[in-house]
Amino acid sequence: MGTINSIEELDRYRQKLAAAVKPNLPTVLVCFGTGCQANGSRLVAEAFTEVIKEQGLQVNVNLGIKTTGCHGFCENGPLVVLRPQDILYLKVKPEDVPEIVEESVKGGRIVQRLVYQDKVTGEQVAHYNEIPFYKHQLRIALRHIGTIDPTSIDDYILAGGYAGLAKALTMRPEDIITEVERSGLRGRGGAGFPTGTKWRSCAAVQSDVRYVMCNGDEGDPGAFMDRSIMEGDPHAVIEGMIIGAYAVGSHQGYIYVRDEYPLAVRNLSIAIEAAREKGLLGKNILGSGFSFDIKIIRGGGAFVCGESSALMRSVEGNVGEPRAKYIRSVERGLYNKPTVLNNVETWANVPEIILKGADWYASMGTEGSKGTKVFSLVGKVNNTGLVEVPMGISIRELVENIGGGIQGGKKFKAVQTGGPSGGCIPERLADLPIDFDSLTKAGSMMGSGGIIVMDEDTCMVDVAKYFTGFLVEESCGKCTPCRDGLPRMLDLLTDITEGRGTEEHLAMLEELCDLLTWGALCGLGTSAANPVLSTIRYFRDEYEAHIKDKKCPAGVCKALITYSIDPEACTGCRLCAKNCPQTCITGERKKPHVIDVSRCIRCGVCKDVCPYDAVRVS
Amino acid sequence: MEKISVIIDGKVFEAEKDTCVLEVARRNGIYIPSLCYHGEVPSSGGSCRVCLVEAHQGGRMRLVTACNYPVRQGLEVKTDTPLVQRIRRGILELLLARVPNSEVIREMAAKEGVTEARFRKDEGESERYKCIACGLCTHVCAEVVGVHAIAMVGRGADKKPATPYDKPSDVCIGCGACAYACPTGAIQLKEKDGIRRIWHKDFEMVRCSVCGVPYIPKAQVDWIVKRTGKDRSFFDRCPDHR
Ligand SMILES: Cc1cc2nc3c(=O)[nH]c(=O)nc-3n(C[C@H](O)[C@H](O)[C@H](O)COP(=O)(O)O)c2cc1C
Ligand code: SF4
Ligand code: SF4
Ligand code: SF4
Ligand code: SF4
Ligand code: FES
Ligand code: FES
Repeated sequence: MGTINSIEELDRYRQKLAAAVKPNLPTVLVCFGTGCQANGSRLVAEAFTEVIKEQGLQVNVNLGIKTTGCHGFCENGPLVVLRPQDILYLKVKPEDVPEIVEESVKGGRIVQRLVYQDKVTGEQVAHYNEIPFYKHQLRIALRHIGTIDPTSIDDYILAGGYAGLAKALTMRPEDIITEVERSGLRGRGGAGFPTGTKWRSCAAVQSDVRYVMCNGDEGDPGAFMDRSIMEGDPHAVIEGMIIGAYAVGSHQGYIYVRDEYPLAVRNLSIAIEAAREKGLLGKNILGSGFSFDIKIIRGGGAFVCGESSALMRSVEGNVGEPRAKYIRSVERGLYNKPTVLNNVETWANVPEIILKGADWYASMGTEGSKGTKVFSLVGKVNNTGLVEVPMGISIRELVENIGGGIQGGKKFKAVQTGGPSGGCIPERLADLPIDFDSLTKAGSMMGSGGIIVMDEDTCMVDVAKYFTGFLVEESCGKCTPCRDGLPRMLDLLTDITEGRGTEEHLAMLEELCDLLTWGALCGLGTSAANPVLSTIRYFRDEYEAHIKDKKCPAGVCKALITYSIDPEACTGCRLCAKNCPQTCITGERKKPHVIDVSRCIRCGVCKDVCPYDAVRVS
Repeated sequence: MEKISVIIDGKVFEAEKDTCVLEVARRNGIYIPSLCYHGEVPSSGGSCRVCLVEAHQGGRMRLVTACNYPVRQGLEVKTDTPLVQRIRRGILELLLARVPNSEVIREMAAKEGVTEARFRKDEGESERYKCIACGLCTHVCAEVVGVHAIAMVGRGADKKPATPYDKPSDVCIGCGACAYACPTGAIQLKEKDGIRRIWHKDFEMVRCSVCGVPYIPKAQVDWIVKRTGKDRSFFDRCPDHR
């Protein structure tokens, strides 16, 4: 079928697709996200195709074996979901496929060894939505991911896609803006600026040309929510952008995608092409007379390229360096034209808001932060991955219910939120609701939604040093406080972790934080103090232990720890002595051993190998 | 152009809308330090941050760089508050630690009471000589001279102006505009026996037919002749003897 020329035709097309679906026929969904593909999901899908062909099974003709986007649970990949039962199999290998087909597809039984097992209780859970990782999620931005084939526009339309656009085209542009304002949607890329307000300012500026842009640069290390959306549901982003463009009066859009995301580029390109063919993008969209097209731009590589002014310079073909934003980009942005730039996740929410209404969206979340947010939950929790939850859920709920608690039964110490220039929040504040304003008030930030969970073995000075080190590398070098202040901050932190710290170090750190916050040019610099400030604020005693007692309480900072062997626990097995690279452990067989501290390089090997847990760190 | 009035340090001044705060202050004899800004160079400014001042507008206060903040009706600027002084001193201390050899920075810092940087000696310092990575030279070359011989390369503390691959540039005309504009005198321009050396490249100088002084690189003459169609003989004499 060619172009769809009206809203009615789109409805009819969707009905036709629905009629062709045979309900209750088994469908196999194989995750084709970047994580699962890296773990071999392609071979798993091929194995399914083969077995099904061999056995001539009647699988849902329309869908068959479907390759989907990332389910967010990549550490357990490759993931396979069986429908209609909604059974989730983890770490599936091609060898498992015949058994799955025999037992589950044909026999309707569950292959127990492939289902989720709770790391704490040992309980096995087979059904997708009953697994703790998914049970507590509320998926709006990720609504289709994992259930549709991102390369099939029909799949998207069948799932209700482009219905938001169809509705928007019957509305007046200013009413769309009002709807987005009333929904309370705030930008998901970091700053949390109200999306509707941004659109209204842009629409109000007199101009012949306006641009809408999507920020898919996602530079935060460890974050992959935007990648997942671009890969797993590209049409949601495209549909959101068409609605935004119609609302502000733009005819050209750009999606800026991080260069390291080839699959996102591929799936977006396929989606754009398919949308054009169907008349959903390009000239005279759905016969409405409104025209809009989208171009993909591949990112410049640096973290700072995700900053709005740097991103626009980069799209214009200049060096991606931030500029003063005394004139906002809604007035003078890309090519000096009024421009709306929103994050991938922000755009993906838009079609649902238009379709279901502002009241529906605003009924979720907190007073100042509506709707849901996608987080990348990593660190010392049992379940790591991408999760979407209502705003306002507490840190503790996220860590315990979804994350399944701390690994190895250790003590929960802190979470770091907001990416490299976010801050650390201690366990005692874990009942804090996660929303824009609470996180900022606590000295951290929402950022793009990275959450790193830390346990008792984490040294907070070391954490501050780690993030400061990252920012030193990513500073573009344009302005003095960030370019020359951050390396100084790193020097001071290094001194403290190596036992050269003084009270003066702490005071100077705080001075530099003040200087960055007030004096830097772009958001990288003005937020770069967060890791240091928040750890000083909540873990000052740890800084002081390093400075005054020359001790690292968590036993991380090598210069400040000593290894010793507890004579009570040591059985004289000699394992440590055999493995010590310095050969500085002595002792007779079956007698307690001793470490020569003067030669020890604190590598920790002895502690790792000792079967009796006799090596002590202090 | 639309005229507006702006308050700087309690006094009201008339100015053209969207002129930068620094220009308005200067014209009215108010001192705000600056390094990376030059009035003739459109995209200069915003990088060194020594010109930060308080901007009060619409019930909100921000620190902004005076060299590119546009004046609008209702703006009140404060150039000497405790906050401004504190941040200015901090920036100058960082610059002093970066380029302790620069007299300009020493003087500017001393004026604010900063005579010593408390930070550890910087390892890259000697290589940087006096450069504060402000980028003004590159903007001058591109926007005033119209040649793109140098650009800021690298990032973070290692950012510096350079010719491509630090090799003699094919397009540099040796005019020296970058060196004249540099706020700290960080660009080395040497002349000896009718040869000028700048950015790793030697330029043969044209001598004035009257006084015999070598006064302009031949490459610059070629470039002007090509660009403007001016007669080459015009450059036989130096400006003093034309
Ligand atoms: C250093 C820096 C890096 C940033 N990186 C990103 C990014 O990777 N993706 C993103 O969406 N926003 C990023 N931002 C935020 C953008 O500048 C901008 O606020 C955002 O794209 C606006 O969209 P939103 O309102 O939908 O969040 C970054 C900001 C800074 C200061
Ligand atoms: S704050 Fe850092 S990243 Fe931003 S412009 Fe300044 S040097 Fe560049
Ligand atoms: S920490 Fe490493 S060097 Fe020190 S005693 Fe143990 S194994 Fe040897
Ligand atoms: S001397 Fe060379 S680099 Fe300097 S301004 Fe002239 S052309 Fe540009
Ligand atoms: S050489 Fe001079 S003008 Fe060029 S960046 Fe360095 S300090 Fe600025
Ligand atoms: S890639 Fe399959 S779950 Fe993330
Ligand atoms: S003079 Fe204004 S930032 Fe350098």
